[in-house]
Amino acid sequence: MGAKVPRNFRLLEELEKGEKGLGAEACSYGLDNGDDLLMSDWNGTILGPPHSVHENRIYSLKIHCGEQYPDVPPEISFTSKINLPCVDQRNGKVDPSKLPCLVQWKREFTMETILIELRRYMALPQHKKLPQPAEGSTY
Amino acid sequence: MALSKRIIKETQRLAEDAVPGISAVPHDDNLRYFDVTIDGPSQSPYEGGVFKAELFLPDDYPMTPPKIRFLTRIYHPNIDRLGRICLDVLKSNWSPALQIRTILLSIQALLGAPNPDDPLANDVAQAWKQDEQAAIATAREWTEKHAKP
Repeated sequence: MGAKVPRNFRLLEELEKGEKGLGAEACSYGLDNGDDLLMSDWNGTILGPPHSVHENRIYSLKIHCGEQYPDVPPEISFTSKINLPCVDQRNGKVDPSKLPCLVQWKREFTMETILIELRRYMALPQHKKLPQPAEGSTY
Repeated sequence: MALSKRIIKETQRLAEDAVPGISAVPHDDNLRYFDVTIDGPSQSPYEGGVFKAELFLPDDYPMTPPKIRFLTRIYHPNIDRLGRICLDVLKSNWSPALQIRTILLSIQALLGAPNPDDPLANDVAQAWKQDEQAAIATAREWTEKHAKP
């Protein structure tokens, strides 16, 4: 096992990866407030997967990394309305007991891991045709 | 992962033979992660301030440099809003012959000698070049506001 990278340095790594656009093309993320020394609040976007009702839609999310991150997963919620079994329709919160990477969270996982998995979840055969709220509506 | 002899020695020396105006104390649960304080150098706009920072020794230290950033807000052309530091010895000019103590001294020296021609915080560097006296006054205000215990 390697050295345990502390929260803040881990978040700086993720920030740099996100800023340089080194990550997956269909997902992006960045700090909500560039002055936030604690780097707690982040914005993410997911480009809807092709061959699904989400195709060509862009979904916005909020990610909150608490003090225990990355030992515990961040809290995630959609700001764009979306109809998915793992999303609470009242407030857009992602239910951590319904997304496999949150259920079996590992320290190596990143915000990008979650965004990519959410995108994959949207494209699952049982989810890709679910009726969706109007494009651009928010919680 | 076992801590290298090199890190153990450096840590001991930081405690026993401390550098005036600088402290670095490892976390109990992660001996590669240090709480750092750096006193602002005298005759600089940071004088009288105590600046908190955090330092982490990555797996391949000392082949790669320590990672370090300020946790106290500081108005300086080579330090950005998240406390990240632009300093050659932390990047391309790192050598395994350098140590935590020499790096912290270099950072303290950087506080005393800002370099607006190699900026990380562009807005601050511009202010520094346009009106150095005003920029220094702002740096002094920030020290007063954020770095006084």
